[in-house]
Amino acid sequence: MDEFEFSRGVTVGQYIPGASAIHRLDPRAKIIGFMIVIAAVITTPSYIGNAIALAVVLFLVRLSGLPLGYLIGGIRPILPILVVYTIFNFLFLGNYDPTGSPVLFQTPVALGPWEFAFTVTDNSMRQTAQGVFRILDLILLSSLLTLTTPITALSKAIESLLAPFRRFKVPGHEIAMIIAIAYRFMPTVAEELERLMKAQASRGADFGSPGPFRFVQRTRQLVPVTVPLFVSAFRRAEDLILAMESRCYVGGTGRSAVDLGPLKRLDWTALAIALTFTISIARIPFPW
Amino acid sequence: MTESLIEVRDLWHWYLRNTPLQTVALQGTSFTLRAREVVGIMGHTGCGKSTLIQHFNGLLRPHRGTVRVFGSDLGDPHVDPRPLRRRVGLVFQFPEQQLFDPTVGDDIAFGPRKLGCDRAEVRRRVQGAMAAVGLPFETFKDRYTFGLSGGEMRKVALAGVLALEPEVLVLDEPTAGLDPRARRDLLASLRALHDERGTALVFVSHNMDEVAELVTRVDVLANGQNVMSGPVREIFREERRLRELGLGVPAAAELAGALRERGLALRGDVLTIDDAVEAMWTSLNSPAA
Repeated sequence: MDEFEFSRGVTVGQYIPGASAIHRLDPRAKIIGFMIVIAAVITTPSYIGNAIALAVVLFLVRLSGLPLGYLIGGIRPILPILVVYTIFNFLFLGNYDPTGSPVLFQTPVALGPWEFAFTVTDNSMRQTAQGVFRILDLILLSSLLTLTTPITALSKAIESLLAPFRRFKVPGHEIAMIIAIAYRFMPTVAEELERLMKAQASRGADFGSPGPFRFVQRTRQLVPVTVPLFVSAFRRAEDLILAMESRCYVGGTGRSAVDLGPLKRLDWTALAIALTFTISIARIPFPW
Repeated sequence: MTESLIEVRDLWHWYLRNTPLQTVALQGTSFTLRAREVVGIMGHTGCGKSTLIQHFNGLLRPHRGTVRVFGSDLGDPHVDPRPLRRRVGLVFQFPEQQLFDPTVGDDIAFGPRKLGCDRAEVRRRVQGAMAAVGLPFETFKDRYTFGLSGGEMRKVALAGVLALEPEVLVLDEPTAGLDPRARRDLLASLRALHDERGTALVFVSHNMDEVAELVTRVDVLANGQNVMSGPVREIFREERRLRELGLGVPAAAELAGALRERGLALRGDVLTIDDAVEAMWTSLNSPAA
């Protein structure tokens, strides 16, 4: 493993060309379809439902032809958060469970002067497990969306999907532009970070871990990197503004949008499948 | 035989290895740096120069092949590269972008402080480094870093690496984007560093004039492979080959070539302006052959 290769971990904002069905979907259909699947993922309350949802997400990854390992790599940075979140849910959710679900396990715990009960209820178990499933699903789905869609296509799709809301003064074009720019520069900033860490390491900086909970030391270590990173981010933003203005960019008003054409049969099929999946997962009463 | 400070044999490196975006950067590159040498690395953009030099202080580890720096084998994952980073100073392209401390003195002192030097030693090193790049210590040490000119910032960044007092200094296109005067100053500082302290230099550049002026031996890379290697005078004789590789020859050599085509008998290894003047003088004052 290379010490400084961060672009490896940044799967967000990358596009990997391919010819799979997922790649060929119209970006509008892809966004809507993924939103429908996400609706299924975040509403299903049962273990089986969650397992099926994850299976479907993994199937979609398989369908895209992208290596699963590469997508999983994108999860690694948030793994500590996921672990802490899961532990906290498991430890504390049961005690304050307002749903009145059956208690599976309860034991009093005394920590010095504090005494409380450690409780596991049916509902707290469920929510703990769901948390893990849902985060995994969401990360895989969102990486899948950006990895299989060029950022320009994505922003045109967002703009076209937001167009009907223009009468409510929703600045669709601006929102699309902001998202496009944010995604576009993520790999760039990761590269920049890598370069700066290498440069500072070359003059004696040490980015080794000072210990898991030594936040002050960790932050101090990063000052030589964060300051130049912000300096160059601002410089880059100014360059971008100049480049856009010198091409007479003034925002969405009076600017025509690209006509993306009608959705094709593949797109309608995908939407129909996604909708069927979500409705069935919501309607089928899974035993547990 | 002098011992090699850096010894690279058949080095391979891939970026984003084992991902769908994998690209090969080095394909069996070799390189040697001996004590007190000044070596140039040339090649078109994307030929692997920057990847190669990042192996010299263990920022990158060899994927295949061997890299030995001061006798340590960097292919061994148990070898800690940090001590080597003090002995091999690496100056990245546009190093002024890595400055972070509000005052010049503190920014240069970053390295020595990280080494655990005491106050007096830090001060001595900062003074030495600033003198080496031609920044007066008293006037510049408390100046605001981000208020300096581009050329001054470049000098500060270079001083930040020199404050580690490295035995080898590796520079990636150190003169890119500088005005002619700052260029000359920088090259003079580097030459003095070599002559006075015996620092071995590795100089990565696109600029043929600078390579001709500073360097004694050149390695030319293309697509991550060594394509030419030898003393600078011999390399620049092969003008056609260099042009095919997307490179060129120093302006003086180009002028000499043009004059030779028009019938002036000039010797074959004109590289610098001084060479050209001397060769023309000799040619014009000798009886025509």
